[in-house]
Amino acid sequence: MNDEIAFLAATALAIARALPVTLLLALAGALGASLLAALLVAAHQTRALRPLARAWIFVFRGTPLLLQMAMVYYGLGALDAVRHGPLWPLLREPLVCAWLALACCCSAYIAEVLRAALAAVPRGQIEAALACGMNRRTRLIRVIVPQLVRLALPAYGNELVMLVKSTSLASTITVVDVTGVAQLVIAHSYRTIEVFCLAAAVYLALTAALTAALRLIERRLAQGALP
Amino acid sequence: MTEPLRARGIIKRFGPREVLRGVDLDAQAGDVITILGGSGSGKSTFLRCCNLLELPDAGTISIAGTPAPLSHAGGAPRVTDQRALGALRARTAMVFQNFNLWSHMRVIDNVIAAPVHVHGTPRAAAIERAHALLAKVGMAGFADHWPRQLSGGQQQRVAIARALATDPALMLFDEPTSALDPERVREVLDLMRALAEEGRTMLVVTHEMAFAREVSTRVVHLRDGVIESSGPPAQMFGADATAAFRAFLAH
Repeated sequence: MNDEIAFLAATALAIARALPVTLLLALAGALGASLLAALLVAAHQTRALRPLARAWIFVFRGTPLLLQMAMVYYGLGALDAVRHGPLWPLLREPLVCAWLALACCCSAYIAEVLRAALAAVPRGQIEAALACGMNRRTRLIRVIVPQLVRLALPAYGNELVMLVKSTSLASTITVVDVTGVAQLVIAHSYRTIEVFCLAAAVYLALTAALTAALRLIERRLAQGALP
Repeated sequence: MTEPLRARGIIKRFGPREVLRGVDLDAQAGDVITILGGSGSGKSTFLRCCNLLELPDAGTISIAGTPAPLSHAGGAPRVTDQRALGALRARTAMVFQNFNLWSHMRVIDNVIAAPVHVHGTPRAAAIERAHALLAKVGMAGFADHWPRQLSGGQQQRVAIARALATDPALMLFDEPTSALDPERVREVLDLMRALAEEGRTMLVVTHEMAFAREVSTRVVHLRDGVIESSGPPAQMFGADATAAFRAFLAH
């Protein structure tokens, strides 16, 4: 019994030590994916760049993130141009590769969320901005983006929750995150259930915190929601 | 004093359908022009051409003496200068059928948005004026409310305060009472009547015959995209009204 408690405590500690990696990957991934998604939506608005945005979304939404991570980590390293290129010190880091794949993949989903929200901004809200003489930039900042954020938030939050859980795939390319540590512990203890349960609890806590934060923001924005 | 509005030969097509077939209309300062007509007569479309929410396929528009930056070279209408278009629209204001208050802004922010973000009025001055305007439209205590907390009539009165905030040369009203409950119509019409009396230049698309008869300086009957008849209300609603306008009124 004491052995059991000691083992669980040691495992919990090891997992807690890996938490910063998971957190970093999730935060940087969310940031990168959101910025990329905003660029994709902007590209989608211009005729010349629309095919590019469509192709990006087609590829990254249509293939598994697991494969994307493997292709970035193992695939890019196999290319001489990359291995001798200036970015090699970054691209040989598994964490960077995981981040890159995560951001690219999730950007495709978030771009679709933002695009749908943009299309859902009521025409009358934009016409009121046009009618009083607002220029493009002012319309965007004062009317379109605030409306879009409110419309996009529920679906965007969903994508962020998916993103947090998807960080666990980084363990497949040797990143020692929460899942990575769990697998290492299992590899020499053979105690699967307890360890995975501990790891799962960490993800639950993370997504619960995220969901609570999103709900708070949603409630604040809902004050001005359409009737 | 230049005319707030000068529209000449306005033609607008939606696909193969010609909605406006050559409309000329001038508004002098202080004019309250009511545009009447059946549904599909093009009255709302004409109003929306005046601030170029719709781009006319032919014809010219001038607001307060400034011609709209519009080119018809090569067929489709094209804005030649977005900045000039913005400046032109900034001299006008529009009151919409569905109010179109910005739902993410409180009442006060709706009213100061154009002065601050389009005209560059200092925020403090804009807020002070906004409070005065809200008092004028009978919405003094509602500055911190959200639009959705207000009734339709209240929203429309805020929308009118928003329109007044930039002291426009021309106010455009697009069926401002059509989305209101009958008991709310009066509060908006009374307010519009007050604006007319203080000499605002107004172009009003409406179905409110009493307003047209009692408040407007001129009534325009639009039918099938052309002005069928127009004149002072005494003439339009009097003995020598055209048969077509009489038929419209009989509906």
